[in-house]
Amino acid sequence: LIEGRPPAVPVLVEDLFRREAGRLVAALVRLFGSARLELAEDVVQETLVKALEIWPHRGVPEHPAAWLRAVARHRALDILRREAIFRGKEGAIESFLTAAAPSLAERSEAAPPVFLDGEIRDDQLRLIFTCCHPALSEESQVALTLKTLCGFGVPEIARALLADEGAVAQRLVRAKRTLREGAFPFVVPEPRELPARLDAVLTVLYLMFNEGYNACDGPDLTRPDLCREAIYLAALVREHPVGSAPRVDALLALFCLQAARLPGRVDANGDLCLLADQNRSRWDRRLIERGLDHLAAAARGDELSAYHLEAGIAACHAVAASDGETDWRAVLASYDALVAMTGSAVAKLNRAVAVARVHGPQAGLAALEAVAEAPALRSYYLLHATRAALQLELGNWRAAADSYAQALPLTRLEPERRFLERKLQEVAREIAGR
Amino acid sequence: MPQFMLLLRGGDAKERTPAEMQRIVEEYIAWARRLAAENRMVGGDELAGGGKVITGAGAALKVKDGPYTETKESVGGYFLIQAQSEAEAVEIAKECPGLARGGTVELRAIVEH
Repeated sequence: LIEGRPPAVPVLVEDLFRREAGRLVAALVRLFGSARLELAEDVVQETLVKALEIWPHRGVPEHPAAWLRAVARHRALDILRREAIFRGKEGAIESFLTAAAPSLAERSEAAPPVFLDGEIRDDQLRLIFTCCHPALSEESQVALTLKTLCGFGVPEIARALLADEGAVAQRLVRAKRTLREGAFPFVVPEPRELPARLDAVLTVLYLMFNEGYNACDGPDLTRPDLCREAIYLAALVREHPVGSAPRVDALLALFCLQAARLPGRVDANGDLCLLADQNRSRWDRRLIERGLDHLAAAARGDELSAYHLEAGIAACHAVAASDGETDWRAVLASYDALVAMTGSAVAKLNRAVAVARVHGPQAGLAALEAVAEAPALRSYYLLHATRAALQLELGNWRAAADSYAQALPLTRLEPERRFLERKLQEVAREIAGR
Repeated sequence: MPQFMLLLRGGDAKERTPAEMQRIVEEYIAWARRLAAENRMVGGDELAGGGKVITGAGAALKVKDGPYTETKESVGGYFLIQAQSEAEAVEIAKECPGLARGGTVELRAIVEH
């Protein structure tokens, strides 16, 4: 009961519920088995509802995360007991019990939440491999990872993946059914299948990060929360012995170096800010340092992945004090290697930008036109926007105007639309002034 | 000062994301804290779901589950507040965060003797 004085309630940590939901699902899947992901999610939902019912009246417990974990544990125990499999799983329950914070009744004196964070991390790692199981489609892997490990709801996933909510919900139901029917063990894969399974995990994290770095749709250019989650999960993988491959470091380096520049990509009005125009003092130095450390760690051994090359490019930008001081030759060399390795049309387009910076806009334009017919770029606004920028450098105003106009209908992102409209106006003024 | 009971009935039962749930918790806590800070809070607590309804007497006495099974209609909790007047209490009740999600607040004055 709240007395007639302000209760000393701590402010909740940002993303507490989301983060804890992800941790709890993982810990509960260990108890229930990966065939019963849904049950684990239900228990987490009930736990959060309980907090919602109790905290407004009793105040926030001193250790909210430990409270949530204790409630989830009680509920899970109840369920297992009722299912009469208690005896068989006694060991697992015991470790869960000792792992969780003291009982609810003692919560006010509870020690800091020493909920065997290492154990939870192991559970989350197992869950990453479960969610990125090859039996699931790539879209399902991403959706399931966001749902179970990141505590995203269906609407958030739909927004992040540009799908409608019904489709996402369907996809999740199907994915869980696949896991149920496959009855896959909740384990980190065996060494012989590990490399391929690890690559699937890295692909999912890469997709997540990219969506956060440059959203496809909506009012915001970036979704930093998605980037943060991708970094968080990649770091989880990296911390574990199975994730000690150099390409995992390379991926983390890429994430950190790119994420460091997020604050510069958008100005105070939420408008798109090109790399050359960004206020580099807004970049996150700490993340750049961390990224460079991972890049150094990625250099051990002789593994060279696309992540290595992309991280190398990101590092060139991150360490340049200004656009003029960027080592564009090194950037170009990395793009050459990336194109040779992946043959990706998007990599070729980006390479054209580096060509322009090293050899001039005419050479860049030639490199761009060489890839312009690639099907993957047909509806890619950056092809046209890049061509426009190069035409602009060459003083070809009308060609630039045409390309900006072609780019405009191809983006659904508000800041990008505003940027292109601004450019179109600038070019129109140039043409009128001549 | 006159006292009033605010009976909070749960809003829509749609499933919420963890982020939404955290936002709701924070709104309620902020509201409760503000009432406490303004010395309006007398008490309050959550009520367990379910409950019983007892009717009749003697041979006709019945105990059944209830009163409501619908989340929408069941009283999820109450706040006991103090305010200068019913109008002021209404103003306080209007700020209940549950209203935005389809919840209702029933305001009843405690009779002073």
